Amino acid sequence: MAWREQSPERGSQVSSWNPGGPASHRESTLDAAESRPAVSVGEREDFVDAPKTSVSSISGAGEESLTSRPHTEHTVENAEQNPNLNTDSTPARPTDDQILAQENSIREAVAESSPFVGDKEPLAALRKEYEDGSAVFLQKISTLEEKYQAIRRTRGDGNCFFRAFIFAYMEDLVQSNSLQERNRVVTCMRQWKPRLIAAGYQELVFEDAQEMIMDQLNSLGTADPVMLPALETNMRDAGVSQMVVMYLRLLTSAELGQRQEFFSPFILGMFDDCPSVDHFRQRYVEPMGEESDHVHIVALTDALQVPIRIVYLDQSLGAAMAGVGHAEGAAVNHHDFVPEALQNATGPNAIPKVHLLYRPGHYDILYPSKSA
Amino acid sequence: MSTPSRKRLMRDFKRLQSDPPQGVNGSPNPDNIMQWNAVIFGPDDTPWDGGTFKLTLTFTEEYPNKAPVVKFKSHMFHPNIYNDGGICLDILQNQWSPIYDVSAILTSIQSLLCDPNPNSPANSEAARLYGENRREYNRKVKEIVEESWKDDGEDS
Repeated sequence: MAWREQSPERGSQVSSWNPGGPASHRESTLDAAESRPAVSVGEREDFVDAPKTSVSSISGAGEESLTSRPHTEHTVENAEQNPNLNTDSTPARPTDDQILAQENSIREAVAESSPFVGDKEPLAALRKEYEDGSAVFLQKISTLEEKYQAIRRTRGDGNCFFRAFIFAYMEDLVQSNSLQERNRVVTCMRQWKPRLIAAGYQELVFEDAQEMIMDQLNSLGTADPVMLPALETNMRDAGVSQMVVMYLRLLTSAELGQRQEFFSPFILGMFDDCPSVDHFRQRYVEPMGEESDHVHIVALTDALQVPIRIVYLDQSLGAAMAGVGHAEGAAVNHHDFVPEALQNATGPNAIPKVHLLYRPGHYDILYPSKSA
Repeated sequence: MSTPSRKRLMRDFKRLQSDPPQGVNGSPNPDNIMQWNAVIFGPDDTPWDGGTFKLTLTFTEEYPNKAPVVKFKSHMFHPNIYNDGGICLDILQNQWSPIYDVSAILTSIQSLLCDPNPNSPANSEAARLYGENRREYNRKVKEIVEESWKDDGEDS
């Protein structure tokens, strides 16, 4: 994953700034994007992936995928350049304030071009992105179309996994009006409160966010339930959406912290710069805009006891692997993240209702076909 | 006017008062909760011992999703502090997380004083001396400490 290589070392973010000015900053960040075949940037404004910041932070240039761009070769090139920039201490380096201003302007530009959570679109919209792209992708999309009917994009600001997950989950609850599942998850969140405090988080940090989610969930089954349009409005509102993402990050982090023994082999094996699980939590989970990896997904599914299916759309040709699809065509791999307690369970809870489409560096929501 | 960020800042303030961290203090301006003044005391048994360093914290309506702008008002000599008082600290930039409150921010800055990160120099002379001539570095820091007592009277 490119973001790991490109992330500036802890504490060195300022020097990873590219001193070439706004245009080149943006350009270099674009180039650092993970390869994601797509039509050219200009044509598809609505699919521009945001810089990591819709929230908060000053990110180092090249820290994360910025936008769809078919230039794979630049990824490598840029990853190699960044270490040089890191050691660059020329006097021309801008101040933190200038960087903040720069980041803000990029963030605003991107915010205008893509909502946190987009509209539900037919899967044909996905095909259109790859019209002039790789045949592998087109084949895989054909395979995908056998099982899925629609897609909903999320903003590519590093929080896309959390945002896609919670939207898909709540949308399913709203649509199915499943009070049993609602009660389960509300209880689960209530139980998290003392656990979050035990994990060292101040109540003031998360209580608003928890209330926000619970209010929406609790409205189900009442005379005035949250309906889909209201859910869309709420999750597109920066105040609500960011709080909710933060809350999920805390749950994920606390889950990791409470099960260090289970998670540490994964983390220590995959992240060279993380000497401990706690370091990983602080570096890659708690800050807004840090992308999610398998570790995050496993922790969150466990924390909320909600299974997730991730469908992978990439260049690989792995027809032999398990997945949706047929032997001859390009198989589309998927992986189900099922909490341990549900792994041997049968029944509706063990079947993932949240389906996410993963393309390197980004998650969107997928909608299974009714017949599938 | 009560917005989520203002509400949160009130709670940050409450926590700072009810559970005050050692060696730091801060409060919002009486007429503007988005603008805070703070003091960090130099940690004991370090060259910074005895210093009273003043800072300002400027919050936006995006707090806590966005870090405040934190600046030293006292003159500083430190590898990660710019001449204008700006601070190069990961949690104030790309490692910011809404889990940090004012108390955590100030405590982090306090520990940065004695534990600079020479890899991201904001003051190249301080970084150089820190690496090459610690004795001279410590002497400069002591000067800064004494200076910090002076501006106590001037602009408070």
